[in-house]
Amino acid sequence: MSSIHLKGLTKHFGSFQAIKQMDLDVHDGEFLALLGPSGCGKSTTMNIIAGMEGATTGRVLFGERDVSDVPMTRRGVGFVFQNYAIFTHMSVRANLAYGLKVRGVPKPEIDKRVAAIADFLQLAPFLDRPSAKLSVNILQRLAIGRSAIVQPAIFLLDEPLSNVDAAFRAVMRTELKHLQRQFKQTMVYVTHDQLEAMTMADRIAVMDHGVLQQVGTPLDVYNNPANVFVARFIGSPGMNLLPASLRETDGNIVADLGAAGVSRPLPRGAAKAAYAQGIQDVWFGFRPEELSLAADSQGIAASVTFIERIGSRTVVHFDAGQAAGKAVFQNDVPLHAGGAAHMVPADAAVRLFDRSTGRAIGEA
Amino acid sequence: MTSFAETEATLAIAADDADRADRRLGLYLTLPAQILVLFIAVFPLLMQLYISLTSWSPLSGRGWWDAWTLWNNFANYLNLAVDARWWSALLRTLLVMAICVPAEFLLGLALAILFMDNFRGKRVFYSILLMPMMVVPAVAGYMFFMLFQSGGPVNNIASAISGHNVAIAWLSNPSLAFIAVAVADIWQWTPLMFLILLAGLLGVPDDQLKAATLLGANWWQRFVTIMLPRMRAIIVIALAIRLIENFKIFDTLYIMTAGGPGTATETISVFIYKLTTNDLSWGYVAAIALVVLISLSVALGIAIARQTKRREAAS
Amino acid sequence: MASIEFRSVTKRFGNTLAVDEASFRVEDGEFFCFFGPPLSGKSTILRLVLGLERPDSGEILFDGRPVNTVGPAERNVAMVFQNLALFPHLTAENNVKFPLIERKIDPATIGKRVGEVAEKLHITHILHKFPAHLSGGERQRVAIARALVRDPVAYLMDDPISALDARLREETRVELKRIQADLGRTLIYVTHDQEEAMSVADRMAILEGGKIRQIARPADAYDRPASDYVARLLGAPMINILDATAVGDAIELAAGAISLPSAAVPKGTTRVGVRPENLGIVPGSDATVFEVEPLGGFTVVTLQAGAERMRALLRGQPRVEPDSRVGLAVDPAAVHFFAADGQSLARPGT
Repeated sequence: MSSIHLKGLTKHFGSFQAIKQMDLDVHDGEFLALLGPSGCGKSTTMNIIAGMEGATTGRVLFGERDVSDVPMTRRGVGFVFQNYAIFTHMSVRANLAYGLKVRGVPKPEIDKRVAAIADFLQLAPFLDRPSAKLSVNILQRLAIGRSAIVQPAIFLLDEPLSNVDAAFRAVMRTELKHLQRQFKQTMVYVTHDQLEAMTMADRIAVMDHGVLQQVGTPLDVYNNPANVFVARFIGSPGMNLLPASLRETDGNIVADLGAAGVSRPLPRGAAKAAYAQGIQDVWFGFRPEELSLAADSQGIAASVTFIERIGSRTVVHFDAGQAAGKAVFQNDVPLHAGGAAHMVPADAAVRLFDRSTGRAIGEA
Repeated sequence: MTSFAETEATLAIAADDADRADRRLGLYLTLPAQILVLFIAVFPLLMQLYISLTSWSPLSGRGWWDAWTLWNNFANYLNLAVDARWWSALLRTLLVMAICVPAEFLLGLALAILFMDNFRGKRVFYSILLMPMMVVPAVAGYMFFMLFQSGGPVNNIASAISGHNVAIAWLSNPSLAFIAVAVADIWQWTPLMFLILLAGLLGVPDDQLKAATLLGANWWQRFVTIMLPRMRAIIVIALAIRLIENFKIFDTLYIMTAGGPGTATETISVFIYKLTTNDLSWGYVAAIALVVLISLSVALGIAIARQTKRREAAS
Repeated sequence: MASIEFRSVTKRFGNTLAVDEASFRVEDGEFFCFFGPPLSGKSTILRLVLGLERPDSGEILFDGRPVNTVGPAERNVAMVFQNLALFPHLTAENNVKFPLIERKIDPATIGKRVGEVAEKLHITHILHKFPAHLSGGERQRVAIARALVRDPVAYLMDDPISALDARLREETRVELKRIQADLGRTLIYVTHDQEEAMSVADRMAILEGGKIRQIARPADAYDRPASDYVARLLGAPMINILDATAVGDAIELAAGAISLPSAAVPKGTTRVGVRPENLGIVPGSDATVFEVEPLGGFTVVTLQAGAERMRALLRGQPRVEPDSRVGLAVDPAAVHFFAADGQSLARPGT
């Protein structure tokens, strides 16, 4: 079994807590993205899984087996480094063969497997080239091939696309995801780019300040962020959050956005429950893509500060009350910078967050 | 990023255009320095060549410029070819080299590997380890001269360990004197080797070592397949420095044994020194010096050319 | 303030043609962007404007006045460097002052100019701080203030925000655009990021190998690219460019997965460009779903039909199963037609 289980993991560097009490299960054959801004502890988590660093407390299990004390030489994880860590003093072939050679696999067997993997990753034409001067995409395939050839049960990738230019990154994303889906290889992919995590992963684990914020499928995390951090971090642009206070009118709960107006009645039981619990100060959240223009004096009253048209997308920057937000439309909109706009978020898209804790006010 | 690269590329091409004019200006600006270098380096060399073709000596009663009156064609060089003392000095020098340099290299490498890891008191050990390098060679020579006296500490310790009185005449026994001299050299120069090799080891990319470890390579496999190849250039440099230096071994040795007993530890430097100060046969000395210089340069040139070629092939 | 014009400017470096017969006119007060891949000549054009390079042929004019032989110091064009190049040991104020002190202007005038510029860029309150204590955006403003304090005719930026991370880049480019709109100065901006170029520029020049391929407003370049090269450079995901084959009365793309009536396709079309957002998915079996990538607000579906791989950008979060068969829908009015040489062809009847 090649599932990964982190149990009560913590990591301290001196007085700095890189990871604060983390439990995470990666299923067999799953593509999990560890996502977070730099310094959030995602790389440390990855290093602990690989055995490059020891945890301060907590256990790492591969399947049933506790590997916490297994040195990294014998953990048998595949690892693709951010800079690929290609052995530049060796040929492409020698790089691919490395893992087999140090294990004492007989030469004919090595040749066979190198040929097979080179064929699969389209590295065959480069086999006898020195690896020092290859292009980034070849280096990346080489790094994957070098790890894959020893057939690790678990594959860890540390921001492998960050050195690739934007257009090619999109292609590599699709390829990598396709590869993973074909082979059902357990993969943990570390990235700070929410786009990579969203597009590739089966599930995303979002981290911030050493704390696991949320684990879920990309759409889960996008649609139902667990807290304000995840809401802002996921999505491009992130979720709009306007300060609001809940109040009751005619038996309905509405969000008072101050100068920006009053929302439509909130359909959620959760809003009611929160209100009953005495939570009044909330963030009124909605995705920039979920807005539609409304007739005057309806919806959120905003003043347009700036309009970007990027290809077929129009990004409208606006101020609503004290807060700023963005709206994304898939076509031109009859708005102009300096003008006023009225926008309504789709009812189902509205999310509420407790302003004192930042936590989502859940659905009921 | 890309536009930086672009700018650099265009600048490089632009540099080609401006090159010719720049080069001329460069020549003018460096001319005084070049003339000075010419005077310092080339003039003595020519003078040496001139004298090496004569039997001139400071006692010949003529100024060096008049040495032509003592012209002896290639007698000095022919003489050298059959001078048994020269050949044995050369062999001895090579023997010292063959013992000291590998020993220094292996010791230095072992120490450098130890220092890759962190351990208690690393800094202190580090300072102690580097001390011999800072000792003036003449002082080191004197230290070992004292250590290897028949009543000296080396014999004392040997006595204490073996339980009976040891009185080895280290410096007056031809083969033991040789060992003593080698020990002194190794003591003094292992630290330099250590320092260079440690720098080399620390320069091996950490992620490559990690990658190798994750692929299942044990320490020895990592050492052979990653560390050594990555350190090749620096190893060549370290060996070259020590080989050249060791070839010129003189001060420590001269103070310990003065090349003796007899000529048992007479290396080329000592040989030349004796010829110069005792025999005053400067024409002959000039010839030897030239031969040494040229053969060293040729050997070094070949070594460097080979290294460069390999690096070009690798990249 | 000035307009900047190139007339058939060519610049070679040895055998390399860095800029090839470039002609353009940047209007006074315009935000003009040069966009292209590495080595397409963007930076050389900047250097020609700055006067750091002399053109081999052609004319450079500022406000209609030739400046070919005018040195960089007299051209009075300011440059904001990518790394901003602020002096860390000087306060923001002294950084801004620096170009004036160098020019030996009297202190009262200097104070007045710095005050004006600081006001315009809203940095008056941070003038006493050192660069290390400023945020990225504030540093950017200080660098711009320093460029503007000597009242240049135009200011130039060479990929000024490419070192920032994605989120911050999006914020900063909007900021830059606002600053420029406020100041009303001519700004020549170089970038290799298509999104950035489309976001900020009033007009943009798209470069390839030293040649200007198109000069247009970003939306026009996107909607009406001059060639498949331009079409490919703008837009993410990248436009699908498919080989066109005439079969009977129709033009077929991607091994018959898409079929357009011949009447809707201009003569001489060899390739057809379909933007991912104009490629729709309907029930059917024209293509196989290679991979589905959710973005949240959008979904990218990669499709395989014959040897061609295409991307469709769908709104929202539709359920599309990988490896399933789907039908494709394309509006002939929303596609681009390209001739064998890559040039765009006009739609019939327009």
